[in-house]
Amino acid sequence: MRRVRAAFEDFGDLLLFAGESFAWALRPPLRPELLLLQMAAIGVGSTFIVAVTGLFAGMVLALQGNYAMRQFGAEGYVGGFVAISLVRELGPVFTGLMVTGRSGSAITTELGTMRVTEQIDAMESMAVNPIHYLVVPRVLAATLMMPVLAMVFSGTGYLGGYLIGTYVSFIPPGPFIDHTRRMLEVSDVLHGLLKAVVFGAVVSLIATHRGYSASGGARGVGEATTRAVVWSSVGILILDYVITFFAIG
Amino acid sequence: MAMIEVRDLWKAFGEKEVLRGVDLEVERGRTFVVLGASGSGKTVLLKHVIGLLQPDRGTVAVDGVEMSGLRGLALTEARRVFGMVFQGAALFDSMTVFDNVAFPLREKQRRLPFPELEERVVESLRVVDLGDDVLDLWPAQLSGGMRKRVALARALVAEPKVVLYDEPTTGLDPITSDSVDQMINRAKERRGVTSMVISHDIASAFRVADRLAVLYDGRIAAQGTPEEVRRSEDPYVQRFLALWFEKQ
Repeated sequence: MRRVRAAFEDFGDLLLFAGESFAWALRPPLRPELLLLQMAAIGVGSTFIVAVTGLFAGMVLALQGNYAMRQFGAEGYVGGFVAISLVRELGPVFTGLMVTGRSGSAITTELGTMRVTEQIDAMESMAVNPIHYLVVPRVLAATLMMPVLAMVFSGTGYLGGYLIGTYVSFIPPGPFIDHTRRMLEVSDVLHGLLKAVVFGAVVSLIATHRGYSASGGARGVGEATTRAVVWSSVGILILDYVITFFAIG
Repeated sequence: MAMIEVRDLWKAFGEKEVLRGVDLEVERGRTFVVLGASGSGKTVLLKHVIGLLQPDRGTVAVDGVEMSGLRGLALTEARRVFGMVFQGAALFDSMTVFDNVAFPLREKQRRLPFPELEERVVESLRVVDLGDDVLDLWPAQLSGGMRKRVALARALVAEPKVVLYDEPTTGLDPITSDSVDQMINRAKERRGVTSMVISHDIASAFRVADRLAVLYDGRIAAQGTPEEVRRSEDPYVQRFLALWFEKQ
């Protein structure tokens, strides 16, 4: 019972933190240099790993799609199946999980270390609000870069699917691409991008919140990082369902 | 009017009562030292002065502004009068020495031209006996004493009205410790800075203090000029000071 109560308190605290971050995001001064730095760290820094993951996810999808559709003589639809799966679902979800593991954990560790070594207190003592200086650029950067990374994932995934579909499963390239064009719609892309934006905001808010409220030295920072990764991953999967439910009905 | 006024300050963490009705006043342009053993609540007291902690009861006013009721932007604005030196230096480890010292200046005066910024950073480091050669070093490359001196330079660079020192001489050799004391006195004499120093270094306390308080068990056990505190009849204060004076 105490754990459930603590979880609710944590969640309430996270919502207040999100509200405070949003309020500070609207206040001057803007710090574009910090935003660009974080966009490079979260976005550019994750591009390679996201591209590689996407490539293999697409390759597997093509193999599985071909295996399932071959039974109905519908191999030509594999291209559309791969594209829709990537753009609507796997792109945002896998990218969210990869960014959680790579950047979310790094953010929590960095902010947590700053908290326990009084660097955040030092910043406050110099009349600089740490949410404004540390949290806002990270949350904005993750929210902006997650859709870009999800597109990279889907792009390389489709390329992997195309290569495996046409060269390994011997699906003719024409129907592969034609069915993709017919099946994939702009609304599918927007659906995936919406998810990526939400995941970017949620992952970065959980990561910054955990780091910001870390306590208890190195062990406390370690615990905060573990919690950030676990709750971000769970949060992504729950929100993925919620968004899909409301989008499809 | 006093620069810092603390009235009936109470603070507990869970069951543990750390501050139990602290009262003190720090006059403008003076140095006030709070002495006390480790764990006596000195740092907690200092963090209330700058609004990093909120009291359970009582008030803290700085330059006429009630710190204990402030939140968000108002609290951030109220902190503009402060510089603070943390016990562990608290340098930003993702920034070089130059960027650390330049940080408060950049934030307070965003349009300050770079040459002037650089000049003030170098000058501020020179005051703590550090040369240009440390500018590009990272905090991890500095010794403990150097880190503390960089922290001092960072606290003073933006010329704050009030400087708070949390154990400024702890872990320093006697020579560096003496130069830190001189810096505290110099900041007072040249710029009229009000200082509040938290320490258990009695020698340093008697070198810099205009007024002194001894914190024990969450309360002020004695308060006054160094001489008055020295003559205090409080048993704890006598014991606290006697050990040191005997050594001398």
